[in-house]
Amino acid sequence: MAHGTSAAGNEEAHHGAARYVVVWLALVVLTGATFVAWRVKLPEPWHLLVALFIAGAKALLVVLFFMHLWDHRGPSRLVLATSLVFVALLIGLVVADNATRFPLANPPRDGNYVRTGILPEPAPALPSLPEPPRVPGR
Amino acid sequence: MQPETQAVHLAHHFPSLRTQEQAARLGMWLFLATEVLLFGALFTAYSLYRYLFPHAFEGASALMHTSWGTANTLVLITSSLTVALGIHEVSRGRNRRATLYLLATLAFAVAFLVIKYFEYSHHIHEGQLPGRFYSFAELQVAGASMFFTLYFLMTGLHGLHVLIGMGVLAFLTVQVWRGRYGPGYYTPVELGGLYWHLVDLIWIFLFPLLYLI
Repeated sequence: MAHGTSAAGNEEAHHGAARYVVVWLALVVLTGATFVAWRVKLPEPWHLLVALFIAGAKALLVVLFFMHLWDHRGPSRLVLATSLVFVALLIGLVVADNATRFPLANPPRDGNYVRTGILPEPAPALPSLPEPPRVPGR
Repeated sequence: MQPETQAVHLAHHFPSLRTQEQAARLGMWLFLATEVLLFGALFTAYSLYRYLFPHAFEGASALMHTSWGTANTLVLITSSLTVALGIHEVSRGRNRRATLYLLATLAFAVAFLVIKYFEYSHHIHEGQLPGRFYSFAELQVAGASMFFTLYFLMTGLHGLHVLIGMGVLAFLTVQVWRGRYGPGYYTPVELGGLYWHLVDLIWIFLFPLLYLI
């Protein structure tokens, strides 16, 4: 609470600089963990989920300890939480909208591209059309 | 700090310096919330196009230099540490050490931008550019240019925030060095630090979404 006051209740007296260093170490370890998780190429949903979970954990550490929301209770937390809820709503609803559309209302999903060896899966081959019947007399 | 010096910083419409600090902090958090919403719009666009072009995003992300991105992540979280330590030192009245920590933060910010410069020039050289300027022959995929559009938009806006943050921190460094702030009053330094942590926070999400697909 008492950041920036000379009042006796300054909570920095309780933790000091060591806490920042511990948080920083945790952030470095988590960065290494997310890098390793990327290298081992987890199966499909986990690949994204683990990366986002680690990013969320890092963000929580920064917000709570570097930005002092652990100590500053009250409106600051509410303001941040509200903004995050609205971002989550926006992302969730926009993706849900596109996920539930009639398929042709969306652009073709990776259907039409030139394969060059970078992409992990081969492009689906277009079915070859049968020869058109010859019209006699032409 | 003496009560007289505190009185210099106290605006007349606040009953005490403590109330003023809490109001200033809440105002800063409101501003940071608008920043979250600003980047939230870009994260929404990212989510949508990643949903529509999952393989194109995977292929385009494979063109990113993950080691540089990781290095920049480490640079930014370390700069967050130094700015937090700097504020801690100001609150203890050790302005000399605080100045050094803030200068270190600025140095890390420069390092971040230098690495970003090398990344950008590589992508520009390869033709991995936004929109219709995309001309990278080895990945001609619907959606690949969207990835680079979002990459340049998101990292560009983030880079702009790094520049603004550097300006704020440079100003605060000079003020701290001159002894303008001390244990009695250092709210501006604290709020500048909050801005810098937000810049770090956004990068924490940009890093996995752009480099670790």
